[in-house]
Amino acid sequence: MKPAISIIRSSAGASPVAIALGLAVLAGLFLFPQFVQSPYALHIMILIFLSVIMGEAWNVIGGYTGQYSVGHAAYFGAGAYTTMILLQYKQISPWYGALAGIAVSLVVSLIIGSICFRLRGPYFVLASIAVAEIMRLSAMNLKDLTNGAEGILITEIPHLKFGDTLITDFLTKVPFYYIGLVIAIVTILVTWLMQNSKLGYYFQAIREDQDAAHSLGISLSLFKSSALAISAVFTSLAGSFYAIYIGFIDPPTVLALDISVQIVLICIIGGIGTIWGPVVGALVLVPLSEALRSNMIAQGIFKIGLASEESGVGIFLKEHLSHAHALIYGILVVVVILFMPDGVLGWAKKLAAKKGKE
Amino acid sequence: MTPILEIKQVSKFFGGLAANSDVSFHMDEGMIMGLIGPNGAGKTTLFNCITGYYPPSKGDVLFKGQKLNGLQPDRVCKLGMVRTWQKVRPLTKLSVLDNVMVGALCRTNSLKVAREIAHEQLKVVRLDHKADFIAGGLPIGERKKLEVARALATKPELLLLDEVMGGLNPAESDEIIQLILDIKKAGAITQMVIEHDMKAIMRISDRIVVLNSGEKLAEGSPAEIVSNPEVVRAYLGDFHA
Amino acid sequence: MLVFMQSLISGILIGGVYALIGIGLTIIFGVMRVINFAHGDILMIGMYMTYSLFTFFGIDPFVSIVITIPLMFMFGAFLQKVFINRMQGALPQNQILLTIGLGMIMSNTMMLAFTSDYKILSTDYSSSSIKLAGISISTPLAISFLITAAITAMLYWFLLKTDTGQAIRATAQDREAAQLMGINVKWMSILAFGMGSALAGTAGALISPTYYIFPQIGSTFTLKAFVITVLGGMGSIVGATIGGVIIGIAESVSAVYISSGWKDVVVFVLFLLVLLFKPAGLMGKSRM
Repeated sequence: MKPAISIIRSSAGASPVAIALGLAVLAGLFLFPQFVQSPYALHIMILIFLSVIMGEAWNVIGGYTGQYSVGHAAYFGAGAYTTMILLQYKQISPWYGALAGIAVSLVVSLIIGSICFRLRGPYFVLASIAVAEIMRLSAMNLKDLTNGAEGILITEIPHLKFGDTLITDFLTKVPFYYIGLVIAIVTILVTWLMQNSKLGYYFQAIREDQDAAHSLGISLSLFKSSALAISAVFTSLAGSFYAIYIGFIDPPTVLALDISVQIVLICIIGGIGTIWGPVVGALVLVPLSEALRSNMIAQGIFKIGLASEESGVGIFLKEHLSHAHALIYGILVVVVILFMPDGVLGWAKKLAAKKGKE
Repeated sequence: MTPILEIKQVSKFFGGLAANSDVSFHMDEGMIMGLIGPNGAGKTTLFNCITGYYPPSKGDVLFKGQKLNGLQPDRVCKLGMVRTWQKVRPLTKLSVLDNVMVGALCRTNSLKVAREIAHEQLKVVRLDHKADFIAGGLPIGERKKLEVARALATKPELLLLDEVMGGLNPAESDEIIQLILDIKKAGAITQMVIEHDMKAIMRISDRIVVLNSGEKLAEGSPAEIVSNPEVVRAYLGDFHA
Repeated sequence: MLVFMQSLISGILIGGVYALIGIGLTIIFGVMRVINFAHGDILMIGMYMTYSLFTFFGIDPFVSIVITIPLMFMFGAFLQKVFINRMQGALPQNQILLTIGLGMIMSNTMMLAFTSDYKILSTDYSSSSIKLAGISISTPLAISFLITAAITAMLYWFLLKTDTGQAIRATAQDREAAQLMGINVKWMSILAFGMGSALAGTAGALISPTYYIFPQIGSTFTLKAFVITVLGGMGSIVGATIGGVIIGIAESVSAVYISSGWKDVVVFVLFLLVLLFKPAGLMGKSRM
């Protein structure tokens, strides 16, 4: 048997090279909009930030604490709806709206925790889905509050001012880029702090064995609720951000089961229970599904001559492939679960270790 | 002096079945109490009742004079009572050191302090050379030691060991016996031990409680227990058969 | 009173189909301890199969189950053999994710093949109904209920009276013991997944004359299937039968007395209450 270094400590001490590289990437990210003006490129980056935030947030409860919530749309939707309702009907700025969204999500997480944490394994998964579905159906039905199935469309985003100086009027994607980037960095930072503290140890102990953790003085209800609360806060922020960025929400886009599943997928594909897993997951998932959505895959098929654009197959692909971007999610999940149980990141690490030995 | 642990007429029913009925005994500080009985006698159930995994259906458990009834296991641990598991439960994906640190964090919020405590306890069970190994990869003998180190790291006053020698070879068992005796000699920790190995239990116990079909059959010094005809019939006879 | 009777009866009728869905899921769970999140999507495939047989070959949906059942059985057996089997003994969470992934592949493949438009399978009796003592009963629902009852009866007979059926039940009760007794557990798993899929597919066929058919319909039924099986006790066939009927009634009664928008909320609240207060289900033990 060979000694292996603990998952916890391996990421705590970083080498100087890694730190330098990290700083370079960070600087690059902050300068990116200075060099790239393409709204589409910025859009993709913003979607990646969103996925990173959601993935890291789920990772706290799902990856570290081992409680597979498949109902995280509840918090995403709570953040999105609170922000939008306050903005559209009460003219309250989204900055406060996002905070209110966090408050609502915290309350929701406490309720969900008190119901679901008494259940284990598959029953927990089912209960988390049921609660999120109740919220989705409520949003459909409480028409006075949520405008039901028609959803809420923002007419105007208030300008961000510091005193009297206008900082941004949100007319381009650039301000969204920076907001997304900052939230994503904060989320990663919080996860890192959590991992290197008592909380991180307790969360992982609960994941590995609840009864053993309980016997070692860990209050299961307290620490599971804390993990869920942290997770809910950032998922809610992502929801608020998404709502303001896109400018439109309805129950299927922010509260559906698909959203919950997508959030889990980001982590599963990247690698759960690690800081960089969700980042890798986002970097894999977002470009892939965008490529499908924008028909790049169909174009690629035509280019390499697998099918001609005018043939029946070609027309079919062009018309339908863009609607089936979720197909790639499905295939990815199956492949990852069957062949890379530790996600792309874990798989790459193993591959690198193998190469290193040769 | 109040006994460190007092079990007063504890009963535990599952449906209509009594896993423990009317069990009473007490333990004084610093002693080693052996808990024996044939399979299904209710030893582990009693452990679970004492440490808060299930509340007793009837009766009281008093730790340092304080009633524990209904207290959750984490509260019980904070009060100074910790147990190990018959079927070892390492936190498989964490390192050996991290496992023990989780125990140590019961008494501190600082990872640095916890790391120090963990190293100390690993030395006590002679597992410090494996500190950086993943717990899931340890052989059974070392897993048992890890359980003990992790429990010790919570700084207990009362340690309940559930078959820590089960599945070990004689050399490994001897090591554990020595460990239990060392802990006793250090003086701060009282121990209750469930064990199947009769020779071991006779060697280490100051007193022994015998359970049979959920009831207390006998209590006494090892010498008294061996010469108790009822025990011989109910348990030892069964054991030798 | 008439309104109540009316909703009660339509609840029981749709409950029969729900029972079929639930029984399928519970057989799979019982034998393999895998929660099949693709169950609704398998049902959806059954719907499209029925729709295609009707549109392209003019085969009546109720007659077409003769074709749907064996095809769906083979499809299920294939899923088990190629995918699910590799996950035996893996973390339940990962099994769930695998089936979620399979479900996504199914729904999106169907979307590629049939687009996401709502399809309607309309037979000449689709909207006809029978009047009985002032209560009107939808003809397709009544027929599907009769077929459901017949299939359920056959299933009970198969599980209780035949050797293979008993072997399946033995595997569900204790996989290891069954293996020791010389039961081919692998084969039983394939059989169970095949049967579960065939039942879901049949349910899909039976409801296709009364429901819109679209690729995303699966998740609704997956969720319903869970509610039904948890209600009856995971792994219990009798429980799933009763659970299906209860959910059918709860839905149609709350649609009448609360509102059709809130009927699913009622079902989910019921589900949570059962999970919390009677986790083993209304039928008690989680056995077949």
